[in-house]
Amino acid sequence: MPLSRWVLALADNSGRTSGSAAALATVTSLPNLDERALVSEAQAGNRAAFEDLVRRYDRDVLRLALNLMKRPEDARDVYQEAFLKVYRNLHRFRFECSFYTWLYRIVTNVCLDHLRRRQARPEDQAPEIHPNRMEEGPRDFFDYQKEHRPTLDPERSLIGKEIQSRIVRAMERLSPRERVVFEMKHYQGLKLRAIGDALGTTEETVKNSLFRATRKLRNELAGLR
Amino acid sequence: MSETPKLKRCEDVAPLLVFYACDELTSEEREQIVAHLAICDGCRAQLSEEDALQAAIDRMPQVADQFESSGVLLAQCRSELSESLDELSAPKVKEGWQPFAWVRAWMALRPGWSAAALLLVGAIVGTQAIPWLPVNPGNGGGSAVKVYAAPRITPDTLNKMAVSGINFSRPTGKIQLQLQAEQPMTLSSDEDDADVRRVLTFVISNSDRFDAGVRLDCVEALRGAASDEQARAALLSAARKDQNPAVRLKALDALRDMAGMPAVRDVLLEALQHDANPGVRVEAINLLVRAIDSGSELPELAPEAPDSESPVQGVAPQALPFPGKDSEQRILRALDNLRQHDSNRYVRLRSAAALRQIAQQDMQ
Repeated sequence: MPLSRWVLALADNSGRTSGSAAALATVTSLPNLDERALVSEAQAGNRAAFEDLVRRYDRDVLRLALNLMKRPEDARDVYQEAFLKVYRNLHRFRFECSFYTWLYRIVTNVCLDHLRRRQARPEDQAPEIHPNRMEEGPRDFFDYQKEHRPTLDPERSLIGKEIQSRIVRAMERLSPRERVVFEMKHYQGLKLRAIGDALGTTEETVKNSLFRATRKLRNELAGLR
Repeated sequence: MSETPKLKRCEDVAPLLVFYACDELTSEEREQIVAHLAICDGCRAQLSEEDALQAAIDRMPQVADQFESSGVLLAQCRSELSESLDELSAPKVKEGWQPFAWVRAWMALRPGWSAAALLLVGAIVGTQAIPWLPVNPGNGGGSAVKVYAAPRITPDTLNKMAVSGINFSRPTGKIQLQLQAEQPMTLSSDEDDADVRRVLTFVISNSDRFDAGVRLDCVEALRGAASDEQARAALLSAARKDQNPAVRLKALDALRDMAGMPAVRDVLLEALQHDANPGVRVEAINLLVRAIDSGSELPELAPEAPDSESPVQGVAPQALPFPGKDSEQRILRALDNLRQHDSNRYVRLRSAAALRQIAQQDMQ
C-alpha cells in the first residue's frame, strides 16, 4: 500500500518513522520547505496560496473520507466541510504543529461528526457501499467463465470472500472513533502516535481503540477456521 | 525512566500480539515477546491468527479505490469548494432595515389570502376612512385653483423636433401643430398658445433646419400674431434673412399692418434696396407706399449709413414731398434710385408709379 504524502509528513512530524518511510518523508517533504510561507500567504488572504495548499492534500483527504464514510456523497460533504473549516480558521493556526497535523485533525473531526450523526439516525442513511457487496450484485459474462489458473483454490477464494464480508459487517459495528483509528492505522498507514496527534488524544487511548476494534473483528471471524 | 516489566506470562503477552502484528511495540517489548513466543505454542498460534487477520484486512478492497480512480469525484469536490470559496470571498451585501419584511414574506407565501386581505383593507379605507379625512377650510368654498402645467416644449425639444403638420384657420385664428419629437405631440393654440408661438418663431428663426414649405406655413400662421413682439421679431428676421424669397415675401406681407413701426420700416427699406428678388422689392415698395398713403406717422428711421446707397439722382432731396421728414426722404430717395437703376423693368416702373402716387397724395 503506497504511503500518502501527508501520512509521511505526519509520521515525520511524530518522529517515529521506520527507515524507508523516514527517507521517503525527507524526499517528499522537500517541496514543503516553502509550506510555511504558503500558509502565511493563505493566512494573509491569498486565495491562490490556499488553493495550492488544498491541492497538496485534498486527494488524501478525499480518500480518507471515502473509506470512512463509504458513500461518495458523504465523502464530498466531508471534503467541503473540512476545507471550509480550514479556510475559516486558518488565521488561528499558530504553527505549533505541522499544517498536515492540523488539517488531519480537522478532517478526522468532521468524519467523526458525520459518523456519529449517522449512528444516531440510521433510518435517514442510505446504505453504505462496499466493494465486496457490489460483487454480490449483477455479474457480467466474465464472472461466469471457468478459472484456469492452477494456483487458484476455489475453496480458499470462497473463504476469503466470506472473511471479507464478515470484516465489513464487523466494521459497521465499530464506534466512530474505533472506525477512524482502524482506518488510519490499516489503510492510511499511520503510526498510533500520529493518529493520537490527529485526533487530539494520547497514544494510549488510540491503542485501546485499536485493540477493541481488532477484538470485534476477531469475534466476528471466530468459527470461520 | 521506568524499565518495561518482563513479559513472561501468556496473559501479559496475548494483549500485545495485536500490536506486535502491526508493528506498534517498542523494541524492548518486541524482544521480550519474541523470547516468549520461542517457548509458547499457544501464543505463537494466536500470533499466526493475528497475522492472518492483518493480511485479510490488508487485502480488503477499498471504497476509495473504486471511486477515486477516475478522478471525477475529486474534480467535483474541487469545483464545489471553489464555488464555496467564491461565495465566502464575495463582499457581503449589507441588508438595510426592512420594515414590514415579515408582512411581505407572509404575503409572498399566501397569495390568495394576501389578495383578500388587500381588498378588505381597500374597502375599509374607501368606505370608512375617507369621510374622516380633514377638509381644507380655505378651499371649502369650491373656488377653483388654477394649476399651470409645466411647459411641454423645452429648449431641448425644440432643438430635436420636426414639424410634421400645421393646420390653421384664418377666420378663427386657431393653429394646430403636429410635432415629431422623442414623443409625437400635437399642440393647439387653444390650449398651448405660448408653446405654439414658441414653435412657430423657432421654425422661422432657424431657416436652415426646416423646409421652406414649413416655414411658409409658420409665417402664415403667425400673421395674426404680428402685434406680439416675439412673433414680430421672428417675422422681421425671416423677411431679412430667410433664404427663400417666397418666405421673405410672405413675412413682409404678414407685417403689412405694422409698416408704420420703425423696425418694420427699416426692414422694408432694406428689402427695397438690397433684396435680390424683384418680387420682394415690389412688395416692399407696395407696403411703404401703403404706409405713406395711410398717413401714419412715420417715426424717424435709423441714421443712414455713409456708405449706403448713393443719393437719388434726378430728384433733389429738397424737391421731395414731406420736407423735413428724414424717414420719408430716405424712402423717396430709395424709390427714386430704384426707378432709375433697378435691373428689373417692372421694379423701375413700380417705383416710378409709387413716386407719382406719393407726389399726388402730397399735392392733395
